[in-house]
Amino acid sequence: MILPKRLGLTLVVLVPLILLVAAPLLSILGQTLGSAAWSDVLVSRLSRNLTWEPLGNTMILGLGTAIGSLLIGGFFAWLVVMTDVPLARTLGVLATLPFMIPSFATALAWSSLFRNSRTGGSTGMLAGLGFDSPDWLAWGLLPTLFVLIAQYYALVFTVVAAALASLNGDAVEAAEMSGAPRRRILLGIVLPMVTPALLAGASLAFAAAVSNFAAPALMGLPVRMQTLSTRLFGMIEIGQAERGYVLAILLILVSAALLGVGNRLLVGRRSFATISGKGARRHRMKLGRARWPLCCTAMAICFVTTLGPILLLVAASLAPQGSALFSDWTLQFWTGAADPDFARGQAGIFRNPQIVKALVITLGLGVAVAVAAVILGVLAALVLTGPRIRVLTETVNQLSFLPMLLPGIAFGAAFIVLYGAGFGPVPGLYGTPLLLGLALTAASLPFAVQTGRATVAQIAGDIDEAARMTGASFPRRLVAITLPLASRGLIAGALLVFVNVVGDLAIVALLYTPDTPVLSVLSYRYASDGFQQFANAITVVILAISVAATALAQLLKGRRP
Amino acid sequence: MIAIDRLTKDYGTGPVVRDISLSVRPGAFLVLLGPSGCGKSTILRMLAGLEAPTAGTIRFGDRLVAQGGALSLPAEKRGAGLVFQSYALWPHMTVAGNVDWPLKVAGMAAPERRRRVGEALEMMGIAELAGRHTGEISGGQQQRVALARMIAPRPPVMLFDEPLSNLDAALRVEMRHELARIHAETGATSVYVTHDQVEAMTLATDVAVLNRGRIEQFAPPMQLLDQPASAFVARFVGTPPANLVPVRDGAWFGRHPAPQLAGRTGLAMVRAEDLRLTDSPAPGSLPAERIEVIPMAGQWLVTARVEGQRLTAVVPRGTALPDRLHILLPDSSPTIFPEGDPHP
Repeated sequence: MILPKRLGLTLVVLVPLILLVAAPLLSILGQTLGSAAWSDVLVSRLSRNLTWEPLGNTMILGLGTAIGSLLIGGFFAWLVVMTDVPLARTLGVLATLPFMIPSFATALAWSSLFRNSRTGGSTGMLAGLGFDSPDWLAWGLLPTLFVLIAQYYALVFTVVAAALASLNGDAVEAAEMSGAPRRRILLGIVLPMVTPALLAGASLAFAAAVSNFAAPALMGLPVRMQTLSTRLFGMIEIGQAERGYVLAILLILVSAALLGVGNRLLVGRRSFATISGKGARRHRMKLGRARWPLCCTAMAICFVTTLGPILLLVAASLAPQGSALFSDWTLQFWTGAADPDFARGQAGIFRNPQIVKALVITLGLGVAVAVAAVILGVLAALVLTGPRIRVLTETVNQLSFLPMLLPGIAFGAAFIVLYGAGFGPVPGLYGTPLLLGLALTAASLPFAVQTGRATVAQIAGDIDEAARMTGASFPRRLVAITLPLASRGLIAGALLVFVNVVGDLAIVALLYTPDTPVLSVLSYRYASDGFQQFANAITVVILAISVAATALAQLLKGRRP
Repeated sequence: MIAIDRLTKDYGTGPVVRDISLSVRPGAFLVLLGPSGCGKSTILRMLAGLEAPTAGTIRFGDRLVAQGGALSLPAEKRGAGLVFQSYALWPHMTVAGNVDWPLKVAGMAAPERRRRVGEALEMMGIAELAGRHTGEISGGQQQRVALARMIAPRPPVMLFDEPLSNLDAALRVEMRHELARIHAETGATSVYVTHDQVEAMTLATDVAVLNRGRIEQFAPPMQLLDQPASAFVARFVGTPPANLVPVRDGAWFGRHPAPQLAGRTGLAMVRAEDLRLTDSPAPGSLPAERIEVIPMAGQWLVTARVEGQRLTAVVPRGTALPDRLHILLPDSSPTIFPEGDPHP
């Protein structure tokens, strides 16, 4: 009997996957098994308030975001890939920018514009101009939806643009040869061929919106609009953990259900968009007189969803009055010493030791998680592209993509259950950066494995076998062949993991303690306490870090190996 | 040198290699010839150590390198060289780097490595490309790099997986000669996979014709031509391959009785050069319809349809060839293969 090839590696990958993904999930299930919390949440007098209304809001936000993102993301993809719109390249880059802007940044920017006097504290710019925004514009579903769409249309754009770019050029040209008018080609040929990508993009946007925490928390809680995410957060914060866990399970089921439906619809059609052809050489649709108007529309969308919020945040972090964003600018909120006239005596963020500590911890977490996730991702990718071992390989596959279904808040909850208090010889990790790091690594796995797979797939097969034939051992091939070829893609992947970690609020919201501050939570706390400018200033710092890392990643991706 | 015994490979969806046995002497050039899907590449990958056999054994000399279900010496321990169809050059290394790395892995000292790299590049005529990256050179040059990379460590066994199939026709002929030269100069036992019978005929000392995972015939090239063991081999080998004419109860096509068929039934092997064409009916001739004429080496290769089947004949250049022809089948007694697949 010979042991299956790569058995050792598979086990090496499987152990952390079980510890990071399977165990937290099972422990959350275990906690609620036979608990009264199920009936409280589902059928008691409380359940309407506790569950069904938040669930309704969650579904509205999920569907709204999916549809909105599909329209905007799809429009951008069509414009950039299929037409002769001017500045297509720039538009393509702009449309991916929302990835690096955490949703609480957009939410804060919206507040700095539309905030009305309802919650007390300073008001937004429009109020300063004499326009007191009605509640529906300042708070609740509509602004939350805007923030979510502004972030997640980039998701749909990337998926659909990739599908359109790889569309078989011959298929479109064949349609043109048949004399079909442009509209007919678009509706009859192109659209059906990219339908799988549209569905995939929409279901990703839905899942992301459903699990988002920052947007509904900042824009909804002041008017008591709850989603499953915010409700779950609230339950655990007030100590009703079991009810929280039940809500977490519901939240997981909702996003899993939709991703499942999406996958089901995709079965067998996946291959459509990936048929390779001479897609790049296909001539582009002539827009004629609509060229510039369409370009301007796209630019305007980009401005409103990315550049605008950034500018507003920068201005808001400099202006002493929220109602007059562009006057009396001061660096008080950045570097000012404590002054009783300003912000109840709080010093600027760079003088606040808590914030400086948070900056260090955030960067440290970002780097550590990026490295850990990518290493695990590559190893998992090696297992997945290598010889298959019954049950084990498939388990690795499922576990590494499972976190996609797990909303950040639920993830945080699960990690508290399992690792917070400690069990047996394992000490409790609550209040240590390690707990944050583990949860963030687990949440980054799907992306890391995907990145690993893409890079490993490029170089697996012949290239690796050619090295095997020379007598080189697996570690030697890894170091001399696989890693050098994969390094560029992996570093780019690591940078994007880093950006996600730095901008994450949902996972860390429950795990954070004053001993382990991170920037995003501090920003959220300041915003909830009415210190808008500090929240804005911290968010600008996060944005700066994200922009730098994303730019670096783009640079690395753009150059050929 | 290489001995394969009862080799079988099954990926779980039915065997792709079934019970193959053959052996060749040291320095032989074995060609595995067959259509796509016949299992030839799988056999090569089992020889290389990239796949493990389901059953059967492989020996290199007196060393057992694989035994189904029990042992499969990994590729890195077999000391064989392999040239891939895609060349599989390492894109982050230079041409010299690609040739050098296997030597480095083998733990060779720097001066020896430098000498061998120079030698291998020289032998393949690409010494001036040493510093270039593999993405900057042409397909033919990449092929030469792949060959140099394989021969530099001087492997006792050289394996080739359809190495010429990505090259254009002229380059393919040139590289075929290079391969013959490399084999002659290194003397390494070689195994070569191809679906091109011309490559098989020109390079091989031994050919195994494969069909659906089985050996149809294992013989030197000339013997394949002279005494094909089955209808499949006769149809696959030769330029042009032999015609196989159905005969039933001693009659061509079951309709034109001929004494030399002696009442037999099956597929009669009729070579192109044994067919004669005339423009008017002759005793025993069959009416035919001209389909295609290809000039070849001062002669014409004529394809004609007879009784619904295409037959190929070689005739002297200038033969009168109207649309309606008459074809004369040979008087001598032909080889007759049984009809149908012996392994259904």
